Amino acid sequence: MKQRKWTIKIVAIFLLAVLLSSLVPSVATAKTPYKTFTIDGYGNVNETQTSYLPHKTITKFGDESFSGPSDMHVTKDGEIYIADTENARIVVGNLEGELIKTIGEGDLITPKGVFVTDDKHVYVADRDAGAVYEFDPEGELLNTYTKPNNPLYGERLDFLPLKVVVNDAGIMFIVAESNTNGIVEISPLEGGSFLGYFGTNFASADLMTIIYRTILTDEQRGKMVSNVPSTPDNLAIDDKGLIYTVTRGDKENTLKKLNIAGTNLLGKTEYDRIPAAVAPGNHDNIYVASQQGYIYEYNGEGDLLYVFGGLDDGTQRVGLSTLVSAIQVDLEDRIYVLDTDKAQIQVYEPTEFTNLLHQALYLYSNGRYTESKEPLTEILKMNSMFNYANQAIGRAYFQEENYELALSYAKLANDEEGYSDAFWEIRNLWLQENIVKLVGIVIGIWLVKKALKLIDDKKNIFSGYRRLKAKLGENEIISNLKYAKHYMYHPIDGSYGIARQNRASYIAPTIIVVIFAIEFIIDKYLRGFLQKTVPEGRYEVLSDLGMIAIVIFAITVCHYLVCTINEGEGTVKKIYTFLAYSLMPYILFVPIRFVLTHVLTLNEQFLITMITFLMVGWVIVIGVIGIKEVNNYTPKETFKVICLTIFTILIMALILFVLYVLWAQVFGFITEVIGEVVYRIVE
Amino acid sequence: MWNKVRKIICLALLVVLTISFMSEVILAAGITSEDSKEDVVTSTGEETSEETKREEEGASQDDEAVGKVDKSQWVTLKDYDLVAESESYRMYLYSPRLSIILENKETGEIIESTLSDEKDDGTSNKTWNGYMKSGLVINAIIGTTNTYQVDLLTTENTIELSYTDNGFSAQVYFPSYGFGLTVNVALEGNELVVGVPSESIVENTEGTYISTISLYPFMGYTYMDEEDGYMLIPDGNGALIYLDDKEGRFNSGFSQPIYGNDIGFVDSGITRLLWDMYDTVRKPNDVIAPVFGMIHSNKEIGYLGIVEEGDKRASIEAHPNGATVNYNRIFAKFMIRDIFVQPLNNSNTGTVTSVERNRTDMDMQVRYILVDGDSADYAGLAVEYRNYLLENNLVELKDISYNTRVDFLGADREEWLIFKKAVTMTTTDNIKEIYSELEDEGIESLISVYKGWQKGGLYDLPIKKYKADKSIGGTKDLTDLIKEAEEKDYNLYLYNDALRINPAETNSTFNVVKRVNKRTYIEKVYKEVYKEFEFLTPARTNKLLSNFVSSYTDEGVDNLAIAGISNNLFSYSYQSNYYTRYDSGDDYTGLISSMYEKTDLLLEQPYSYLWNYTDGFLDMPLSSSSYMTVDEEVPFLSMVLKGIIPMYSEYVNFEANQKEYFLRMVEAGVYPSFYITYENSSALVYTNSADLYSSEYSAYKDTIVEYDREFRKLASLLDGAYIVDHEKGDDGVTRVTYDNGIAIYVNYADSDASVDGMKIPAMSYKIGDAR
Repeated sequence: MKQRKWTIKIVAIFLLAVLLSSLVPSVATAKTPYKTFTIDGYGNVNETQTSYLPHKTITKFGDESFSGPSDMHVTKDGEIYIADTENARIVVGNLEGELIKTIGEGDLITPKGVFVTDDKHVYVADRDAGAVYEFDPEGELLNTYTKPNNPLYGERLDFLPLKVVVNDAGIMFIVAESNTNGIVEISPLEGGSFLGYFGTNFASADLMTIIYRTILTDEQRGKMVSNVPSTPDNLAIDDKGLIYTVTRGDKENTLKKLNIAGTNLLGKTEYDRIPAAVAPGNHDNIYVASQQGYIYEYNGEGDLLYVFGGLDDGTQRVGLSTLVSAIQVDLEDRIYVLDTDKAQIQVYEPTEFTNLLHQALYLYSNGRYTESKEPLTEILKMNSMFNYANQAIGRAYFQEENYELALSYAKLANDEEGYSDAFWEIRNLWLQENIVKLVGIVIGIWLVKKALKLIDDKKNIFSGYRRLKAKLGENEIISNLKYAKHYMYHPIDGSYGIARQNRASYIAPTIIVVIFAIEFIIDKYLRGFLQKTVPEGRYEVLSDLGMIAIVIFAITVCHYLVCTINEGEGTVKKIYTFLAYSLMPYILFVPIRFVLTHVLTLNEQFLITMITFLMVGWVIVIGVIGIKEVNNYTPKETFKVICLTIFTILIMALILFVLYVLWAQVFGFITEVIGEVVYRIVE
Repeated sequence: MWNKVRKIICLALLVVLTISFMSEVILAAGITSEDSKEDVVTSTGEETSEETKREEEGASQDDEAVGKVDKSQWVTLKDYDLVAESESYRMYLYSPRLSIILENKETGEIIESTLSDEKDDGTSNKTWNGYMKSGLVINAIIGTTNTYQVDLLTTENTIELSYTDNGFSAQVYFPSYGFGLTVNVALEGNELVVGVPSESIVENTEGTYISTISLYPFMGYTYMDEEDGYMLIPDGNGALIYLDDKEGRFNSGFSQPIYGNDIGFVDSGITRLLWDMYDTVRKPNDVIAPVFGMIHSNKEIGYLGIVEEGDKRASIEAHPNGATVNYNRIFAKFMIRDIFVQPLNNSNTGTVTSVERNRTDMDMQVRYILVDGDSADYAGLAVEYRNYLLENNLVELKDISYNTRVDFLGADREEWLIFKKAVTMTTTDNIKEIYSELEDEGIESLISVYKGWQKGGLYDLPIKKYKADKSIGGTKDLTDLIKEAEEKDYNLYLYNDALRINPAETNSTFNVVKRVNKRTYIEKVYKEVYKEFEFLTPARTNKLLSNFVSSYTDEGVDNLAIAGISNNLFSYSYQSNYYTRYDSGDDYTGLISSMYEKTDLLLEQPYSYLWNYTDGFLDMPLSSSSYMTVDEEVPFLSMVLKGIIPMYSEYVNFEANQKEYFLRMVEAGVYPSFYITYENSSALVYTNSADLYSSEYSAYKDTIVEYDREFRKLASLLDGAYIVDHEKGDDGVTRVTYDNGIAIYVNYADSDASVDGMKIPAMSYKIGDAR
């Protein structure tokens, strides 16, 4: 607790300094060799202001250069500890490149990880020594922790420590090579007692793996690549004792923030495929470095703020990396990145923009929304598309009851919750103002209708309309369309009509399919913000239309093929007709749902879900009844035919794919021959 | 019966298809894996840097160091002949190596052109030894391999020497390679001119060719940190590499072709993308001007090298100690013939390496302007280069009156349903409104480049005639706007990228640039709507641009800003003809010079051979490419051009440290530029201009007015003066001295500083008198 207060104080003082001095100037290059990107709520990746500038490159402390360094720790007072792996020592220096001391020469073999506690005790994870060493601030070896002899550790498991962090209680959290059980947790008591595994990752099993496992024999299963859980690649600890890990191969869960119980506090995050290291920042933020030199900054919730840096493209420019192995942040938000291959530390410093962002992060996370608006406005002035700022300022406006602005910022940031809340308030206000008018209009319409009916009864003013209606009803197409509605409510009777009473046709179902397609597209692209699944402004109408056409064609044809060999009675025409008619519930329900998406908030979401459920269920039920009745099948036969149809569609798709691949090969071969011939002739 | 037959046929069909599918999938998998393997092989086969190749060659042939030459065998000044003498310099020649030594008659200090035996540290192998001690180093191509080093020490050669009034001419022939050339060297006052005329090159052996020629690659070299000083490289605005001990930190130095990479040969070669989609690495700056420099500060001697001939196919090479050998050296390397990779199919799985059929017919010449005394610093070199440009009429004085540059984006496109929809950012009416507001704020004059004004928006390229996009107000409104604005000295220039064609909007089957391997050049941009562009052939550009300009000037307006062709130069093939960078360079120069006569022309970041044809230099870079070898950035080009051409910065909007950028502009004498949209830039998120993340007028209005006030005041004081000195103090204060006696002090430090009795506040500047 004391520790925490102290940290907050430090952060506060620092922020004050930032505010007063209006940000530390830099004389580094204005233009970096890398671009900085940010990501918005829709997943769009956009370039943004340079967030960090290359500040300094440290290649040696004093005269001591590094060889294959693989870890680094920067203390609060700015001392830099390097695990100088190939020189088998820990080198300590500072930002000025001065050598302070070296530690562990003679004791260490391959120091892979280094951690320094607040009281300057140095912990070193030495892989080949199979031990974690603890040195006192003078560099004297205090303790050696080797493989735990607790049976729970696993007797056959080696102990090859790679990285280590230590919490306030002196408990060590160790990442060990080829130990898939998780982070090894060792207490300093009794020369090191094994406490258990921490933050175990679960083996991921996708659908295919599960299917394989049920089908294959034990022997075959043995030959499969063993599905072991991934081990964290690196870890870090913050002042609150939260442990941060990065694990490659865990996709959206690559970055984890674990509490003392080992529960991940972050949701899905943007991730790098080869994460190298993680470090907590000073503002509840988190930094992750990828081996390829990309540096990610997240806020406390795991939303990506920035990604910058990159792999040196051979042009040897400052700020690009070759093989990153560690990342650290100092109290002034400078980022230290250790490059194993270049054997150097690249220091980056925040720009004016980033300092503003950190200030906003700090204020916002402390609930000081109104105050946070000031830096947020500055940020948006510099980059109006910066997602975090849009989201935060939207929430700030909501707190101030400025709902219109809150709504527009929430939309910009794709902040569904914020949007829903703001929309609820706006709708509420609107209803309060307009409820009387609304009731008036409804009553008005009812009265007019009544009146018209009265007049019609006496003077028969709608006779022309009725005649027209009757005449249209005789038209075959119109009559078939009406029949579609009949089919919807009476599928068994309707199917009988299609199968036996000459109700099958091509034109009417096609009209229904066209209406379906139009509704589908309008609904997909123009529905209310909260229900929208596609990002604003993205339209792929042609592929949607193509998809609808292909699906209906494939179902019709494949179903027909299957029916013909299963004594079904359906013809192509009949099948097409009942399939199209089965879409009627969709056609009737979607407009209602469409309107609802524009007036409902997340709270009333269940209404929309219910309608969708009802609609889909209805379509399936009448579709299946159609299959059964039109083909005159028993229920068992119906089930079989449905399965066969699905199978046939899959096979057809695969055949097309194979043909495509083959054709591409043939085409490539021909052009290659021609190319070579032409080349030889020209030569 | 019929039913049964049907059943059987259908079943058979199903079975056959399933089996064939299975086998095909396996087959296809096999094919793809083979493909990927081949890919790897070809990619590793390409693009190894020449330096490394030489190293490998050396390693395989003669890895051991040859050791230091015995002192009795040293070639020293007494073995040299005095071949020329001017008022200030003597030139000596040691003919077997074509080594020359320049002696400053006043101070006695010398500049050596090749490594002397005395300074040889004896650690290099035979190949490097030959390289360092020879005045002429050639890379030869035999067959399709270009790694043969030819020099005057390790390769058998004959030299026929003839003396001229102020130097000599050496006809060199290498019998074992069957090629030769003539090296001309002349001392003209304090200038040394070294060259190889194109017609002197003979290549007698079929299949053996000269690839690159380096003349005096060790001119003015130093060993480790034996001398103070620096090398000036033309990166960005200018950068220095100190002659200090690099402690072996670098294994290569600066090596960049003058006027950018040749897309006809070199792939842009992006290897790694963030999330497989985003290119996070910025391209380094192009070399805009063909200059380089070497200064030995303690001896107060140095030179400015100007590549006068052959510049369009040469590179500047600056390697500090530790880059293979322990010497600092800077030189120009000419390329007259190259090899390239010819793919045989579309998937690039089969390739052969080919040699360029003809060598580039170009003279090669480097002029070394020697400096001494107080002039022996980068400011002195800038003065020399400015004098050189003016004396040779390579650039004439332009109207340098002050303008703030406020550019506008008109319209871009985003996908909408099956069409593309205009995203309108700034209409002509918006600009009128902005102009009148800025006028009210007291801004006397402006220039604006209007981007995305044309029909179809910013990326509907090429522009064929003068027709504005409806969404910005149409052609007539635009014409009226330009005319009206001109009356109040607000000049609106229409932006025209005359190089690119958008294959998604215009049929690009014909008239586009193909690389030397006859594959269409495709510029990938990794953007939202349009992902690829191609380049128009210079002939096509000429036709389209001329048409556009005549339809434009017919309307009585003539403000034009040309981009694309102002800073791209390439070899290409078209309709079985092959064109060099000289061909495209000549075409563009001709075209742009004629446009310059017909219009008020601005060029976007023009290469040096176009400087004479522009009323302003748009997008003057203010920083370097951050090469690791660079120790300091200096505003070299700005020092050269200040007072001659008005220079406008890159956009202020996108600078993260705007205060510092402001000071940099003050220091370099560059005028500020803004990229403005009337609408909020978030509207651009689904367009190709999504990287324009901060541009809304309302957010920048105050800054524009404030910058205009500051810079206009400054410009009125300077009034066409030239920069004569530029010094960086240890206290973070930079002093820029003008020839009218004004000095500008810029303090980049975060604390106040006192210099010359003046107090300069932190992150600020002051105007004073030169001492």
